[in-house]
Amino acid sequence: MEQATDSGPDCEGGSSRRQFIRSLAAISAGLTVAAPLGRAAIPEESIPQTAPPNSGSGLGLVRINLKVNGNTRRLFIDPRVTLLDALRDRLELTGTKKGCDRGTCGACTVHLDGRRVLSCLTLAVMAKEREVTTIEGLAKGDELHPVQAAFIECDGFQCGYCTPGQIMSAVACINEGHSGSEREIREFMSGNLCRCGAYPNIVDAIKIAAAKMKGEVS
Amino acid sequence: MSTQIIGKPQDRVDGRLKVTGRAMYSGDRQEENLTYGYLLTSKVAKGLIQAMDTSVAERSPGVAAVYTPFNPLKLYHGLEPPEGATSGETLPPLQDQKILNYGQIIGLVVAESYEQARDAAALVRTQYQAEEPVASWEQGIEHTFTPESVDREKATVKILAEGVDSIDDAIRGSPLVVDVTYTEPIYHHNPMEPHATTAVWHGDRLTIYDATQGVISHRLNVASVLGIDEDMVRVLCPFVGGAFGCKGSMWMFSPLTAAAARALNRPVKTILTREQMFTLVGHRPALIQHLTLGANPDGTLQAVKHDVRSTVSFAKIFVEAAAHRTSRLLYKSPNIQVSHTLVRWNVGGPTFMRAPGCAPGMFSLECAMDELAVRCGIDPVELRTKNDAEVYPGRNVPWSCKNLVECYQLGAEKFGWSKRNSIPGAVQEGDWLVGMGMASALYPAHRNRASAKVRFQADGTAQVSSATQDLGTGTWTVLAMVGADSLGLPIAKIHTELGDSALPSAPTSGGSASVASVTPAIQKAAESAKKKLIQLAIRDRKSPFFGAKIEDVSYRNGELTGAGKSADFGSVLSGIGRSAVEAVEMAAAGEEEEKYAFHSFGAQFCQVKVNRWTGEVRLQRMTSVMDIGTVVNLKTARSQIMGGIVFGIGMALMEGTILEEKTGRYANANFADYLIATNADVPYIDIHFINKPDTIFNPLGARGIGEIGITGTPAAIANAVYNATGRRVREFPILPEKLLPIGANQPMISMSERS
Amino acid sequence: MRPFTYEVPSSIQEATSRGGADAAFIAGGTTIVDLMKLEVMNPSRLVDVNPLPMLGIQMREDGLRIGALEKMSDVAEHPEVVANYPVISEALLQSASAQIRNMASIGGNLLQRTRCGYFRDVFTPCNKREPGTGCSAIDGENRMHAILGTSSSCIATHPSDLAVALVALDASIYIQNGAEERVMNLDDFYLVPGETPDHENQLRPGELITAVRVPRLLWARRSTYLKIRDRESYEFALTSAALALDLNGDTIRDVRIAVGGVGTKPWNLPEVRQALAGKPLKPETFAAAAKLAVNGANPLRHNGFKVDLVQRTIVRALMNLGGLA
Repeated sequence: MEQATDSGPDCEGGSSRRQFIRSLAAISAGLTVAAPLGRAAIPEESIPQTAPPNSGSGLGLVRINLKVNGNTRRLFIDPRVTLLDALRDRLELTGTKKGCDRGTCGACTVHLDGRRVLSCLTLAVMAKEREVTTIEGLAKGDELHPVQAAFIECDGFQCGYCTPGQIMSAVACINEGHSGSEREIREFMSGNLCRCGAYPNIVDAIKIAAAKMKGEVS
Repeated sequence: MSTQIIGKPQDRVDGRLKVTGRAMYSGDRQEENLTYGYLLTSKVAKGLIQAMDTSVAERSPGVAAVYTPFNPLKLYHGLEPPEGATSGETLPPLQDQKILNYGQIIGLVVAESYEQARDAAALVRTQYQAEEPVASWEQGIEHTFTPESVDREKATVKILAEGVDSIDDAIRGSPLVVDVTYTEPIYHHNPMEPHATTAVWHGDRLTIYDATQGVISHRLNVASVLGIDEDMVRVLCPFVGGAFGCKGSMWMFSPLTAAAARALNRPVKTILTREQMFTLVGHRPALIQHLTLGANPDGTLQAVKHDVRSTVSFAKIFVEAAAHRTSRLLYKSPNIQVSHTLVRWNVGGPTFMRAPGCAPGMFSLECAMDELAVRCGIDPVELRTKNDAEVYPGRNVPWSCKNLVECYQLGAEKFGWSKRNSIPGAVQEGDWLVGMGMASALYPAHRNRASAKVRFQADGTAQVSSATQDLGTGTWTVLAMVGADSLGLPIAKIHTELGDSALPSAPTSGGSASVASVTPAIQKAAESAKKKLIQLAIRDRKSPFFGAKIEDVSYRNGELTGAGKSADFGSVLSGIGRSAVEAVEMAAAGEEEEKYAFHSFGAQFCQVKVNRWTGEVRLQRMTSVMDIGTVVNLKTARSQIMGGIVFGIGMALMEGTILEEKTGRYANANFADYLIATNADVPYIDIHFINKPDTIFNPLGARGIGEIGITGTPAAIANAVYNATGRRVREFPILPEKLLPIGANQPMISMSERS
Repeated sequence: MRPFTYEVPSSIQEATSRGGADAAFIAGGTTIVDLMKLEVMNPSRLVDVNPLPMLGIQMREDGLRIGALEKMSDVAEHPEVVANYPVISEALLQSASAQIRNMASIGGNLLQRTRCGYFRDVFTPCNKREPGTGCSAIDGENRMHAILGTSSSCIATHPSDLAVALVALDASIYIQNGAEERVMNLDDFYLVPGETPDHENQLRPGELITAVRVPRLLWARRSTYLKIRDRESYEFALTSAALALDLNGDTIRDVRIAVGGVGTKPWNLPEVRQALAGKPLKPETFAAAAKLAVNGANPLRHNGFKVDLVQRTIVRALMNLGGLA
């Protein structure tokens, strides 16, 4: 089994492990999630530096650097692993969701070099040395991205499962210049399915966020 | 109840977690030493497994185990519905070689990584002795039977006027008769979050993170299948990524995963694939509904007859009570008869899906009412108003709070119904034929026994806890709002706990009952906690209220006042060195259930356009007016109705699971072929609430809201399609080809054929 | 997904030399990663062509040249494409989703595999996936399947919208094999299934599409892509029509037309073109010409409606583009 390792003290922006712990703190400050939160952090020493003996894929594992949310993470990875599964199972960035694993729902949307793509159809090895941005990397500290704030304001979600994908898609939709009208927003957001049916609220959120983002630029 | 909090639009308290990707769903659990489970499923719909070759898979890198009927994990028969908190699957997998449906669990591969488990699963070779499955209405004729009961009544309910011998006599005696049959395919819930279980054993104690609508029910059912005491199991589910009914029962992959974790002594996580979501976690049954309405020329109903045939599986019975929950009660008629028969198919287990009974039943009833309106030459709104029922037919009890006629009136006004041209096909905009339609909405109000805990804490905050769930419905927020309202505190001071079977017991979140059930318990617990707080304050020497009489000290908005003193609860608790004081209370419905009927009502209005060349139907706008009692959170309530309507759009226009007759295989078990509405399919939806508290139902006056939005929507759309084109499509979904003229020599939907 | 090695060539020549029966090229990955997960495609080597110099969208003397690695989204919104070939832009914008269009390359789009549910399910017989096993669709669920160009071996629909537009415009592709380059008309490139549905096109193992060329056609500025779907977006076509119209007042001077969703390959309609050329711009002309589109159609149990629907699609597209709607 391949393992994620932090790239060491020289990596920029601090480790995602620390972010993970911070996120736990945030959870308990906001509302109490009754669940014990599983493994809060993996002790550094418990991470094998080499693959365990039973982990060979039959073919070579590939060593890659993944730049996720500004942090460079070193992975020793089976080429079969998608970017989605690398994020979720190796880097503990579970904000990006798997809804279909077939490119038919948009829940796994992330930004690759600033453009929205489906991480379920992207092999992790092909994302090497490229800038990956996930939902966890959108806010600046405690300050939400305008799209995140607008989704809360407009109730642009219910269960929240498609939401990370919707938000990553919405940010790109605005940046691409596809938020000019409600009709355009609807069409350019149609790659993100929402079974709870929050679509009209998502459209409202994008309109509000787009106006705010435009204001910030000018 | 203060109006400062209740009824206002409140942002979700869990919103920040959801928009930052930090809300942890069941499949997101990270565990030390975790392994990944991948299910093997049957590729025939009926027969026996003769052999399975797992040798290559077992030798595959990273594989920890391959469980099959030939190398099973011991699982026991599940609880039958009356025993279990919620009916679910009862036949445990891997205990024999029998196949009852395509996609049935026939094995579990566990490996170090998800990829290793998935790819090893593909290396297992299975030999079947296949038989021809039952997978169509025709094949099912031999497997038709009458259920023992339907929605707590007999399979056939007859309400006949004095002197009338049969419903058919009443129909024959009616001057006008509408006699129509509607069919619906199997529908699948398809929440965006696939079912997931992460099972972790600590000694003989099991912790399960499961995507479930009922942590308490899941605990009981999993324990029984594993053969252990339910006290040894804890089920956690703080967030559910959508459910719509399919996470309301325990499905067998969950205890199977737990059994594998026990055998391997390692945590196992199993997440269903989208394809497995079609065969392993339920569906809405296929239905044929035959409806006969008899009426006077003025539209007054004289007879309502509604016969339903719905499918079940060979392993599980679920009755989609499409007539018993709709035609049985919605309209006033001297003669009403509803009946239900079931047909067994070789499919996975059916289960409740958003607005069970009502969603499909209201499709046929409300389309038939539209057909009757046309027959009588009466406006559909007027027809419904004329036949509004004041008392529950056959029981002669009133509704606790019914404002359906007001829904029609407000809806018609907001929508601009008066502008509708009642002549089909009369309105055209460019290439598009435009039509308007309406329908009633209906869903029963349920309330179940529930417990909750309210806890004052020394830091000045309060905690509200109950083992309920938030399916995206907004329970996190509503509990906080009701807690804040009950305690007179700002919402920011309330911590909510839910989704944990260790909390005070609450029912499965289904049937739109969570808010109605849990909030009375919170209100009761809040009052008890206040009493305990005061008792503590007057008994402890360190308290400023020490020695005061209990009746002299009062609690208001977080402060204790009495004996000329005033102090907030946090400082009182801190002062006496107590971390907290808490109370747990249970609440349940009382005698009112005998005296009243409880339902939510509504009216749906919509406008569609149909392309006159190619037949696509697109919804243009929608107005919905809902009578659901007190609106607790205006923001999430609106979203709930919107979500129901969007579900209804899919049901009417694009959804439907295709079952192959010959193989019993679902032909479209994926999101590219099972179409649900996209953003571009959903127009602006105008939502209004009557907002009259139903305090007979519960102290808050709030009935459920999660399901009613879907009801009436498909019929309103179908009726609008008729108004646009003059065509009645009685077979859902309304696909373009069903609107094209028969025969290729008719080049277009022309004005002439729309007479 | 079967284990594979991941290779990154540094030149087009190296890439083609690394190609072969056991290898597959990957660009955007939207088809191949999907099909590898389903084990429909099981290459033991995956050759990543993304670093190769196959980019660029240029309007030249002889027409539009699009590098094979250009993304669908970039081509769809390129000003030259939008201005000169609206049909290409519209076909792309009605394909898939914004995310997929950001990933999928033009070359890959032309090589995408059918969405036939039996092709995609390794547990069902399929002559395209496993020659000789039979076709499950002919007697199975075939609402989305082809009515034109079918055979007793295969009725799988070609899924690309872009290819329909390009075939209508008489586009060609550049194919590289080692140091050798050849140009082939796209319509000729695609094969009907016949007895060998596994042979979908004229690409030989190791060959790479490097670019697409669309001939200069001034009147393609009046062109459109009409796609009929059950839902408004993010769905493959029930039927579609790519249409360019050359008008001389109320007379049709020339037409380019192809249809999608109905053929085992993008379905070019030279007969319809001939029937319309020189005729008055009138609905009756359209209906008569559209009938020719379904010559030889072979409707099955669930897809018979396409015979009618594709004619309606053509008429609707002509009405819209001709300004009669």
